[in-house]
Amino acid sequence: MTEPARRLGAVLALLAAVTILAGAGALFVGSAPISARGVVGALVGRGGDVERLVVLDLRLPRIAAALLAGGALAVAGVGFQALTRNPLADPAILGVAGGAAFGVVVAQLGGVGTTVLAALGLTVFAFAGALVAAGIVYLIAASDGRLPLETLLLAGVIVGLFFSAAITVLISVVEFDRLAGVIHWMLGNLRAISPGALGLFGALQAFGVWLILGRARQLNLLALGEEAAQQLGVEAERLKLRVFVGASLLTATVVAFAGPIGFVGLIVPHAVRLVLGPDNRLLVPGALLAGATFLLVADTLARDVIAPAELSVGVITAFCGAPFFVYLLRSRSGSGSLSP
Amino acid sequence: MTAAPIVEFSDVSFAYPEPGRARRRPFRLTALTFGIASGEILGVIGPNSVGKTTVIRLLTRVVTPRSGEIRLEGSPLAALSRADVARRVAVVPQALPAAFPFTVAETVLMGRYPHAPGRFFESEADRARSREAMAQAGVLGLAALPVAELSGGERQRVVLARALCQEPRLLVLDEPTAHLDLRHQAETVALLRRLRRGAGLTVLLVSHDLNLAAEVADRVLLLNDGRIERIGAPESVLDEPTLSRVYGCPVVVDKHPSTRRLTVHIVWGSS
Amino acid sequence: MRLLILIGLLLAAAPAQAFIARDMRGHAVTLPAAPQRIVSLVPSVTEIIFALGGEERLVGVTDFCDWPPAARRKPSVGGMVAPSLEAIVALRPDIVVATDEGNSEATFDELERLGIPVYVVHAHALDDVVALIARLGELAGRGAAVPPLVERLRARVRRVVAAVRPYPRPRVLYVLWPEPVIVPGRDGLVTELIELAGGTSVSATSPGAYPRLGLEAVVASRPEVIILARHGGGDTPTLRATWTRLATVPAIQAGRVDAVAGELLHRYGPRVVDGLELLARIIHPEAQVAAPSRAAGGARR
Repeated sequence: MTEPARRLGAVLALLAAVTILAGAGALFVGSAPISARGVVGALVGRGGDVERLVVLDLRLPRIAAALLAGGALAVAGVGFQALTRNPLADPAILGVAGGAAFGVVVAQLGGVGTTVLAALGLTVFAFAGALVAAGIVYLIAASDGRLPLETLLLAGVIVGLFFSAAITVLISVVEFDRLAGVIHWMLGNLRAISPGALGLFGALQAFGVWLILGRARQLNLLALGEEAAQQLGVEAERLKLRVFVGASLLTATVVAFAGPIGFVGLIVPHAVRLVLGPDNRLLVPGALLAGATFLLVADTLARDVIAPAELSVGVITAFCGAPFFVYLLRSRSGSGSLSP
Repeated sequence: MTAAPIVEFSDVSFAYPEPGRARRRPFRLTALTFGIASGEILGVIGPNSVGKTTVIRLLTRVVTPRSGEIRLEGSPLAALSRADVARRVAVVPQALPAAFPFTVAETVLMGRYPHAPGRFFESEADRARSREAMAQAGVLGLAALPVAELSGGERQRVVLARALCQEPRLLVLDEPTAHLDLRHQAETVALLRRLRRGAGLTVLLVSHDLNLAAEVADRVLLLNDGRIERIGAPESVLDEPTLSRVYGCPVVVDKHPSTRRLTVHIVWGSS
Repeated sequence: MRLLILIGLLLAAAPAQAFIARDMRGHAVTLPAAPQRIVSLVPSVTEIIFALGGEERLVGVTDFCDWPPAARRKPSVGGMVAPSLEAIVALRPDIVVATDEGNSEATFDELERLGIPVYVVHAHALDDVVALIARLGELAGRGAAVPPLVERLRARVRRVVAAVRPYPRPRVLYVLWPEPVIVPGRDGLVTELIELAGGTSVSATSPGAYPRLGLEAVVASRPEVIILARHGGGDTPTLRATWTRLATVPAIQAGRVDAVAGELLHRYGPRVVDGLELLARIIHPEAQVAAPSRAAGGARR
């Protein structure tokens, strides 16, 4: 095995250990008063039915959802940042999260959840909204079959703004008693979803991550500039499309299951880049694990800090956003990014 | 020429697509026909915006000609994949993008991509070749440094090392001495000559520096207004009336009596 | 003979005292026995259960269930929109009572997936409130307490209606929320209460339960009495200032602007009748409707 492959293996092993520890630890936290022994008992199949219900049907699926969502958002962030060569690109910036949110708001206002469509649920609407948004961004930005990166970023911002405005319009006419529900969803929340839904979530996420990780080496070359990458043999147009689709898919999946959770896709890639460097082959798996852990910790806080009431996890991640930007600002002005 | 030309342009025409509003000067390359012989150094010169960089883009399939054909080592360019082209042609660009985050070693290693595009990680052999390339370009000592911390001249040598790492048959240099001080310019010229002699490298040199072209090139191609004005040995192309007409300002060409070296001077305008 | 034995066995095998109830969605809730452990996700429901004397079976409430004061001592499962599922599960409820106007459907789905039956209620009219009291009486095993409670409430309503009958009906604007202006519409409980209290709501024909109204429409409707709802027990001087600027409105000219405690009129428990009496006192002070014996938040000028 070559040196960098070995290094990647070691880093991933460490991160995976942290993630597993965090996941295991979160099993012991919650508003139901269950002792540590009770948790362990429930895991091995013994213990009272309340313990088993809480640990296996509530905490475990929610922890799984947090890990999946955090990893997906972080990898989407890496993808978008590499694609646009802009370290401030966040999955939300490209309008995809806005489209998904719009889909869900439309569904909730249309009374989805009370009809037959409840079986499909809000998930489908969110997904459809996200795909529509991604499609519009692509249509706006693409010309002559190519995807210029500058217009991609701009198109994403425009589409995001458009859907934000659309959501605002919808909220302003919604029935008073539905308002709390809609706003609650828009903050971003993780829930204990069913095993079937978890499986679907996991499969979609695996596909999205594969789309990006499979081209991690080429993404490195993209940093040289599109033209230089092409001159090194990279099929830049196919690469951009593939990464765009992968990152959009990851974002859409998370928004469909958990609403628009912000800042993970922005903060985690940065933090991981500080430790692992800019090589996407390390960054993608590293961000996957670090993002999973980050969101898990945030969600554990969200469901515990004012128990039995729950905060939305999006609130916790937003709280992390401001200090992060302060840090970014100070580190940039300190070191100075201008070259001699 | 005894060997087949490495590159052949046959009646190639090209214009950039005009999105919406027309460019100020609609650009065309018209009926370009020339060849690059194996082992030669061909210099491409001409005024700004005349299409020198576009020639590079056509050659590396970044853009495709409207008409005509380009052949690389006998094969039509259109039939080759990007990786195929990159295995044979390496471009040393003018600059690296701003805020480029990788180290020198990582950057040079990128040059190995076309030889095994399917690999996720580079092999040990790739690393060895990359170290050789860095040594050739004189940047081995900077290997662990981030490129962003280097001076303009050091960066130029890093991209050169990357191009060498590609092990190309044809090396294309786009304004190679633009940021270099005199010493490094001299070193670059010496390096090019060494490479041509030792590795049998063919070189396409695009430059606005006429004296560099005169010094280094075996043949010079003078582009003007999208067409080939002249092509041939430097003495035959770099004559005063032609240059003055093409560049639109008075020019003097001196030929040193003993070294026969050409020097092009601008006639500075009197006040 | 064997057929008779078979039928006999089948009948004997049927669960004894099975409890079946149909909630207001039309969903049938089947329990092996009458529920002994009830979690209420609705403040109105909590109030009704206490009023029926069924609080022993109430094992969990929300943070918003603040009446009667004893309700605050019950274990809480969190907010109405996102209660903690763990807390609910840990209380081992037989049934959870929720509303589709305030709780989220995601909560119903999740509870049902965990095997906890959900009984959904809502109320848009006084008759609904009475029906709700009856249903909750059945759930809490306090069926016997229902008729006396209902009769007391109905008697008070009759007294109010009789007391205000002689007087002309003023136009009443009820402001649920000042910014944007939210008023009771056709389906709002408050509309019916205003009617019974001897007034006519200016927004009675607006569609929905609690629609928004523009300020122009407010002025155009020329209300003779304006009632502002207070939420959470705070005072509302700034609200008042906004309204008193509308000098052409008859209610302002006559100085007939009052504030009431919102929870009396928006929750659909027994205190809704307190609210009715309060409205009657404000709309028809001359009718001299008696104040309730419990201090439940009165009008202040």
